Amino acid sequence: MIAFLVRRLLQAVAVLFIVTIMVFILIHRLPGGPARAELGVQATPTAIASFNQQHGFDKSLWTQYWTWLSELLRGDLGYSFKENSTVSALLLDRLPKTALLAGVSVLVAVLLAIPLGVVQALRRNTIVDYVFTAVTFVLYSTPSFWLSLILVLVFSVNLGWVPAQAPQGSIGAVLSQPSGLVLPVATIALISVALYSRYMRSSTIDNLTQDYVRTARAKGAAISRILFRHVLRNAISPVLTLLGLSLPFILSGTLITERVFNYPGMGLLFYNAAVTQDYPVLLAVTLIVAVATVAGSVFADICYALLDPRVRYAHA
Amino acid sequence: MATMLEISDLVVDIRSGRSTVRAVDGISLTLDPGRTLGLVGESGCGKSTTGLAVLGLLPAGGKVTRGSIRIDGHEIVGLREAEARAIRGRTVGVVFQDPMTALNPTQRIGAQVAEPLLIHGMANRSAAMKQAVDLLGEVGLSRPAAQAERFPHELSGGMRQRVMIALALICGPKLLVADEPTTALDVTTQDQILQLFDSLQQSRDMSILLITHDMGVVAGHTDEVAVMYAGRLAELATTHRLFGGYRHRYTEALLESIPTLDTPRGQRLATIAGLPPNLGGQLAPCRFAPRCAHAEQVCFDVEPQWSEQGEHGYACHLPRRTDADLMTESAGAPS
Amino acid sequence: MSIDLPDVADTTGQAAAEDRQAAVEPKQPSMVLRRFLENKLAILGLLLFLAMAVFCFLGPLVYHTDQIHTRLSEQTLPPGPGHPLGTDQVGYDELGRLMVGGQTSIEIALGAALVAVVLGVVWGTVAGYFGGVIDSFMMRIVDSVMSIPALFLLMFLATMFRPSVLMLILVLGLLAWLAPARLVRGETLSLRSREYVQAVRVMGGRAPRIIFRHLVPNVLGTIVVNATFQVADAILAIAAISFLGLGIPPPAANWGGMLSDGLNYTYSGFWWLIYPSGIAIIITVLSFNLIGDGLRDAVGLRAHRRL
Repeated sequence: MIAFLVRRLLQAVAVLFIVTIMVFILIHRLPGGPARAELGVQATPTAIASFNQQHGFDKSLWTQYWTWLSELLRGDLGYSFKENSTVSALLLDRLPKTALLAGVSVLVAVLLAIPLGVVQALRRNTIVDYVFTAVTFVLYSTPSFWLSLILVLVFSVNLGWVPAQAPQGSIGAVLSQPSGLVLPVATIALISVALYSRYMRSSTIDNLTQDYVRTARAKGAAISRILFRHVLRNAISPVLTLLGLSLPFILSGTLITERVFNYPGMGLLFYNAAVTQDYPVLLAVTLIVAVATVAGSVFADICYALLDPRVRYAHA
Repeated sequence: MATMLEISDLVVDIRSGRSTVRAVDGISLTLDPGRTLGLVGESGCGKSTTGLAVLGLLPAGGKVTRGSIRIDGHEIVGLREAEARAIRGRTVGVVFQDPMTALNPTQRIGAQVAEPLLIHGMANRSAAMKQAVDLLGEVGLSRPAAQAERFPHELSGGMRQRVMIALALICGPKLLVADEPTTALDVTTQDQILQLFDSLQQSRDMSILLITHDMGVVAGHTDEVAVMYAGRLAELATTHRLFGGYRHRYTEALLESIPTLDTPRGQRLATIAGLPPNLGGQLAPCRFAPRCAHAEQVCFDVEPQWSEQGEHGYACHLPRRTDADLMTESAGAPS
Repeated sequence: MSIDLPDVADTTGQAAAEDRQAAVEPKQPSMVLRRFLENKLAILGLLLFLAMAVFCFLGPLVYHTDQIHTRLSEQTLPPGPGHPLGTDQVGYDELGRLMVGGQTSIEIALGAALVAVVLGVVWGTVAGYFGGVIDSFMMRIVDSVMSIPALFLLMFLATMFRPSVLMLILVLGLLAWLAPARLVRGETLSLRSREYVQAVRVMGGRAPRIIFRHLVPNVLGTIVVNATFQVADAILAIAAISFLGLGIPPPAANWGGMLSDGLNYTYSGFWWLIYPSGIAIIITVLSFNLIGDGLRDAVGLRAHRRL
């Protein structure tokens, strides 16, 4: 298990290293370069040259990369001229809000998906199964920004139950106005519920046809006991694995949703940075997102190993 | 003494899609307390389906369409699910073929063995665990307390089957259905498991329905034998009688296909030509006729009737003649 | 929004890898077809897609509209005579634009899926064939690109390149080739070690040819299923980047662009600018998701890419 973990973590570090190189090169090929993005289209060549010299942009790409990487390892993510703040401070403010949005959304999605998947598995190929499949597939096939707006039209414009705007300010302020989170969370949860319920359905079907279920029936166990004591535990573990792997999908969802509701998270920060070509922020957010994704897949592997004793011992 | 298991005229249909297959077609047999009945036949002959019907665990689409199954005098055909559950695991225990897949891979062995006691409300958690550990020791696991904490995949195949047996016996059932309990095991382990069945039967005084395709297993470990072919009963006798004077041509073919030490070198081992019939298709009146070396026209025209002499019954137009037959015939012949 | 979950099997160790290998054994094509046709939802998906394709590609032949010249005098007319679905903010007929926009969306999506599959198959075969250091390096690159959520990468690329139909095909394809690359690489790796390939090598045969000949039937099912989902993802991705303001500029039309333009009028009550394009996207994406789901079941894949 330890060896497996170490190998997996080394792999993750290698992947992140390649990500830094890729992203760095990509950003520095953006048209105009950082100087023009910062100084505007009317900047004189001298102004650009002095800006580049001042910030080390006249050095070779590799020198710049090593400078950036060594600063990164010391925890210095650079400075955003656009936001007039250090990137670390920006991330420290935005990251928790996106984590909150993504976390609550995934939780809601999974809490919907597990019972849904089990019901579909128990009633597979009946009308109930078809209807739930159709509904979750339609949600999954819906552009998320469009879904958000429909939700806004119905629940805040027509019914007036919840605000259409997300709460602003610090994480504390966000937490103190939970009603503002309802629609953003609902959007992400609804588009992603199919992801998990579909998986739960096939995983439950797989387990229901296993011999050990017949053994449990032969013991005289009722269907509820078979489900809760035997099948669910075995069926949920692949879904938990999927949880880690679905992180990129969820993060893409937060990018759109934060833009729709003007929720001050990392997605909105990234969006604004892309529009204004704020390189240090683009770099940092991409990196954080990649770290999260890689961590998600490591989490998935560990989950898989911990939940299934067969794997747990195989790696021991 | 009352019979432990009484199956009469049992018919099981299995529907899949639009077609229906009659997997078991009118079989009757009885099993007395403390005895072992071997149910033999090739795969697909309906022996496992019969076993599952006794447990009320027919696969999806399966249904008892006719006949009755009585366990210890109680009819179980037509029971409601809750009533059937009360019998399963408590009055009837079962051991399946493959102990690897039959055990829950993510649950510790002790908990799995103890579970029937909890289901039937026969013990609280700690008492059930203690009984499970005791029983694991009784079925031959060394250091049972430690083994109870392990997962199925950490045990050998033979050990897993012992666990499965413990699980089947924990509530002290009067009837044990063992469905090919040794097929997935290697030869030496097979023998140990069968020995275990014998000794457990002695100590617990229970009846065993032993389902197998292996005539060798039947010979050494049963009191009576029922031979099934294509959903029907071909021959039924005490084990002693059967091996002394089997009559049905199918039984004969089965026994001749077993290699023995006496088989001369170089002689080809007898096999049964062809394959068992597709139960969904057209069947000959004597279902074995198309594969039978002795079949005559009558076998393709008329259904053979069940004939019974004492403890020996069979359904064959042209039964094998036994030594006794030959003696009577020569004695009765006019000089 | 594009989603690229790797196979669970890809990242979950040896046991799962064997599982998947067993699952992608080639099946009888007739068997696959029969099982696909038995799946009611998959048939529904197929019918929905055919309906949308007929609407977009044959519709303009009978319903003629001018989708090039703007007519500001006719902007945002509600549905009525002459304009069954009204007109948009610059006076284009909404129904006609839905057809033309659908052509673009479907073409981009199919093109992107094609690019993804070709690139993925080549990359995966090369990595799996050479193995060792080359394989590790190539697969770490796949891991790395995969670790940046598609939409973030898409925004990145969209700020760098001026969006056009061809550009979008390439960019979306460049985002989507990762999953097929992994699948093909795994299959090549296992083929390479199989006895008959080894035997051919011993006899001096050309292993690459053998691998390719066996590889194609082995992974065909997986690839087709994956490509179907890619098409669905691509249509949503076009919509998402249009919403983020990085889509194809007018007068070229696509559903995503129409939808995000229409959203500016959410509070004006111009419902005909919001619902038709949204529903068109949902129907088309849904059709591909249903087809993909049905195909996956028919091919008998146990490791689910997603859904």
